[in-house]
Amino acid sequence: MNSLSSASRWTDGSMRKRVAKRYAAERRFRLFGLAAIALSVAFLAFLLVNMTWKGASGFTRAEVKIALDFPRSDLIVDPAALRGGDAERTLADAGLENVLDQAAVAQFGEGGADLFGGASARELASQLIAEPDLLTRRAELWLPLSSKGDVAAKTDGDPALEQLLAKAEVRRSFNSSFLTSSDATDASVVGVWGALKGSFLTILVTMALAFPIGVLAALYLEEFAARNRWTDMIEVSINNLAAVPSIIFGLLGLAVFLNFMHLPRSAPLVGGLTLALMTMPVIVIAGRNAIKSVPPSIRDAALGVGASKMQVVFHHVLPLALPGILTGTIIGMARALGETAPLLMIGMRAFIASPPQSITEPASVLPVQIFLWSDEVDRGFVEKTSAAIIVLLVFMLLMNGLAIYLRNKFERRW
Amino acid sequence: MTLSIALFAVLAIAVAASFLARNRARGLRGGGVRLNSLPNYHAAFVGLWAAIPALLFLAVWAPVQTGLIEQTALASPAGQQLPDFDLQRDSILSEAREIATGERSVGFNPEASELAPIFAAAAGRYALAGSAVAILIALGGAFFAMRRVNVDFRARSGVEKLVMALLVGASLIAILTTLGIVLSLLFESLRFFNLVSPVEFLFGSTWSPQTAIRADQAGSSGAFGSIPLFWGTIFIGAIIAMVVAIPLGLMSAIFLTQYAPRRARTWLKPILEILAGIPTVVYGYFAALTVAPAVRDLGISIGISSASSESALAAGLVMGIMIIPFVSSMADDSIAAVPQAMRDGSLALGATKSETIKKVVLPAALPGVVGGVLLAVSRAIGETMIVVMAAGLAANLTANPFESVTTVTTQIVQLLTGDQEFDSAKTLAAFALGLALFIITLILNLIALRVVRKYREAYE
Repeated sequence: MNSLSSASRWTDGSMRKRVAKRYAAERRFRLFGLAAIALSVAFLAFLLVNMTWKGASGFTRAEVKIALDFPRSDLIVDPAALRGGDAERTLADAGLENVLDQAAVAQFGEGGADLFGGASARELASQLIAEPDLLTRRAELWLPLSSKGDVAAKTDGDPALEQLLAKAEVRRSFNSSFLTSSDATDASVVGVWGALKGSFLTILVTMALAFPIGVLAALYLEEFAARNRWTDMIEVSINNLAAVPSIIFGLLGLAVFLNFMHLPRSAPLVGGLTLALMTMPVIVIAGRNAIKSVPPSIRDAALGVGASKMQVVFHHVLPLALPGILTGTIIGMARALGETAPLLMIGMRAFIASPPQSITEPASVLPVQIFLWSDEVDRGFVEKTSAAIIVLLVFMLLMNGLAIYLRNKFERRW
Repeated sequence: MTLSIALFAVLAIAVAASFLARNRARGLRGGGVRLNSLPNYHAAFVGLWAAIPALLFLAVWAPVQTGLIEQTALASPAGQQLPDFDLQRDSILSEAREIATGERSVGFNPEASELAPIFAAAAGRYALAGSAVAILIALGGAFFAMRRVNVDFRARSGVEKLVMALLVGASLIAILTTLGIVLSLLFESLRFFNLVSPVEFLFGSTWSPQTAIRADQAGSSGAFGSIPLFWGTIFIGAIIAMVVAIPLGLMSAIFLTQYAPRRARTWLKPILEILAGIPTVVYGYFAALTVAPAVRDLGISIGISSASSESALAAGLVMGIMIIPFVSSMADDSIAAVPQAMRDGSLALGATKSETIKKVVLPAALPGVVGGVLLAVSRAIGETMIVVMAAGLAANLTANPFESVTTVTTQIVQLLTGDQEFDSAKTLAAFALGLALFIITLILNLIALRVVRKYREAYE
C-alpha cells in the first residue's frame, strides 16, 4: 500500500512540477558550465583573431608607382660610383631623399612629399644600386610609402594623404624588411630582427644556466638527498621561488648583477641570468616529477649488476627521465621568452637600433620591443606592434607544440 | 675582458689535462695490469680538478675586481678630487668605467675622461693578476690530480665525490636566490626607510614620488604613502580579476570534469591552458588597445563622466581572463580528488548531477578551490605588464572601476625606468614596494599551499 502511494506521488501535479524545476535547474547549471568555457575559448579566439587582423597588415607594405626622371633631377651621381661598397652612403649624400620629394611633389602636387619617407629612400637606393643605369633615364618605380602614407593607404589616416593616394596607383607587397631590420624611430622602416636576435641570445644564456643547474638540483633532491632540515629548506625555497612575482626577479637582477657586480646594462647576459634564476625552479619541479616516474626496478637492476649510485643515476635514470625534463624545460623557456617585467628592471628598454653581436652588448628582446612600440604615438606603430605580437605568439606556439610533441613521442607507461 | 680569455685558458687546460690523464691511464693498462677505474674516470677526475677550483676563483674574482678597480680610481689624485656628493660621484665613476671599456667615447662629465685611463690601467692590472692566478690554480689542480693517476687509484669514487658536490651546489642555488632576493630587497628598503619613515610608507594615503632633478631642490622628497597603491592592487587583482576568474574558472572546471565528453575534454583543456601561456605583454597591449576604449565608451554611455581610457576595469577584466586556467586547473584537481563514493551516494539518493555537484562535490573540494583562488590572487597581485599598460599611473583611492588606479608593480616599473640614481628616495621606494609585494605574495602562497596540502591529506 505504502509503495503504491509513493508511486502515485510521482505523478502528482506538484511533484511533477518540482521534478521539472529540478531538471530545469540541472539544464541551467550545465548551460552555465558550457557558457563559461565557451566564453573563455571565445575570448581566446577573439584575442588571436584581433591580433592577427591588426598585425597581418604589418607584414605588408603599400607601394606607390612614381615616375622619376634622374637625368633631369638634381641628383648628380656617377653610375659607376654605385658599384663600390658605400654606394648607399654616396646616394644619401647626393640628396636622394630631396630628389624623391621633388618628384613626389611634381607628380602628386603639394603635400606629395609626405607620402615618402625613410623606407622609400632606402628602397630607392637599393633599386638604384641593383640597376645603376636607371640613373641615365626616366623610370617608373614602385616605392614603399612613409609611415603616415602607409596608414592612409591601408586604413583611414590623414584625409589629405588619402585624397592623394586615391589618384595614385597603389599596390601591396610583402614587407620583408620587417623581419630583417631592427628598431627605428620611423615606423615604416622598423623590424623585429634586432629584438629576435636579442631574445635568442637571452634565451641561450637562460638555457645554458637554468637547464644544467635545474637538472642537477632535481637529481640531488630526488635521488641523493636525505630528508633533513637542509633539504626541507631547499625544497621550500624552490617552491616559493616558483611563485615569486617575476618583477621581484628584476629587482634582484638590478640590485645584484647591475649595482653590485657592475655587469653591462641591458645586455642579454644579465637578462639571461635573471631569467635563469626565474626558470630554474620550474625546471627543478618538472625534473623531479620526471625522475620520480622512473620505476625503482630500473634502479634496483642497475644496482644489482654492480653499478654505483652515481652510475645508476647518470646512466639509467637521467636518460629515461630526460624527455619529461625536456618538456618541462621547453615550457619554462617559452615562459621566459615571453617575460617582460624583469627585463624592464635591468634596463632592457633602451632604444637599440642594431642587433646585438654578443651577449654583453646592449640588446632588446621581443616582448620589450612590443612594449616599447605600444607606447609610440605614431599610428604606423599599431600594426607593427601587432605584427611583432604575431611573431612572438608563433614562437610560443612552436615551443609549446614541440613540448607536446616530445611528450607524446616519448611518453611511456611503465 | 681579459677574464674571459682566462676562462677559455682554464677550460683548455682542463681539456688538455684530461686527455693527458686518459693516455697515461691507458698506458698503465697497456702493461697488462687491471686498473681500479676506467681511463675515462681518470680523465674526468683530472679535468674536474683543473677546472672547478679555477672557475670558482674566477667567479669570486670578477665582482671583487670591479670593487678593487673602483678603489684604485678613487685613491688616485684625480679620484680624490671627485665631489663628495654620492650621486654625482657614482655617475662620474660609471661613465669613466664605460669610457675605459670602450662602450662610449666621450663622457658627459670632464672628470670622467680624466679618470678613464686610470680605470683602464687598473682594470688591465687586476684582470692580468686574476687571470694569472686562475691559470696557476688550474695548472696546480691538474698537476695535483695527475700525480694521483695510478693503477690502484679509485678515480671513480673521486669523480663521484666531485659530482656530488656539484649536485649539492646546484640545489643550493635556490637558497642563494631566495637569500639574494630577501637581502637585496631588505638592504635597499632599509636605506629607503632611513629617508622616509615606515609609518608614512605603510599608512600614508598620498603617493607622489617626485623626480628631484637636483638634490637640494624644494619638495624633492615627495610623498610616499603606499595605501592607494595597495588599494589599487587589491582592487584590480583581488576583486575585479577574481570576479571574472572565479565563476568562469570554476564553472569551466565543473563542466570539463562532470559534463564534457572525453573527446571534448582532451581538446578544451589544452585550449584553456593556452590562455595562461600567452605572454602578459600581449594581454597588456590587448587591454590597452581594445578593451580599455570599449570600457571607457561603456562607462560614458551609462553616464559615468569620470570614465578614463586607462581603467581598473579594463586591466582587471583582462587579468581575470588570464587567470582562468589557474583557477580551473586547481579546481579540476580538487574536484577529481573527491572520492567517487561520495558522488555515487548522492546520486543514489536521487539527487540530480548539478545538485550533487553543488551540495556534495563542491563543499568537499572547497579547500582545494580556495587554495587555488589564493594562488591566483597572489599571481594577479604580482602581475605587471597588464596593469602597466592598461591601469594608469594616477594613485587614486577610488572604488569606481571606470577610473584609473595604479598598482604596486606599475609603480615599481615607473620608479625604476626613469633616472638611474640609486640613492634617491624615489628609486629606493621601488625596493620597499618590492619587499612588501614579496612578503604579501609569500604569505598568500604559504597559506594556499597549507590549505591545499591539509585538504589532500584528508582523503588519503
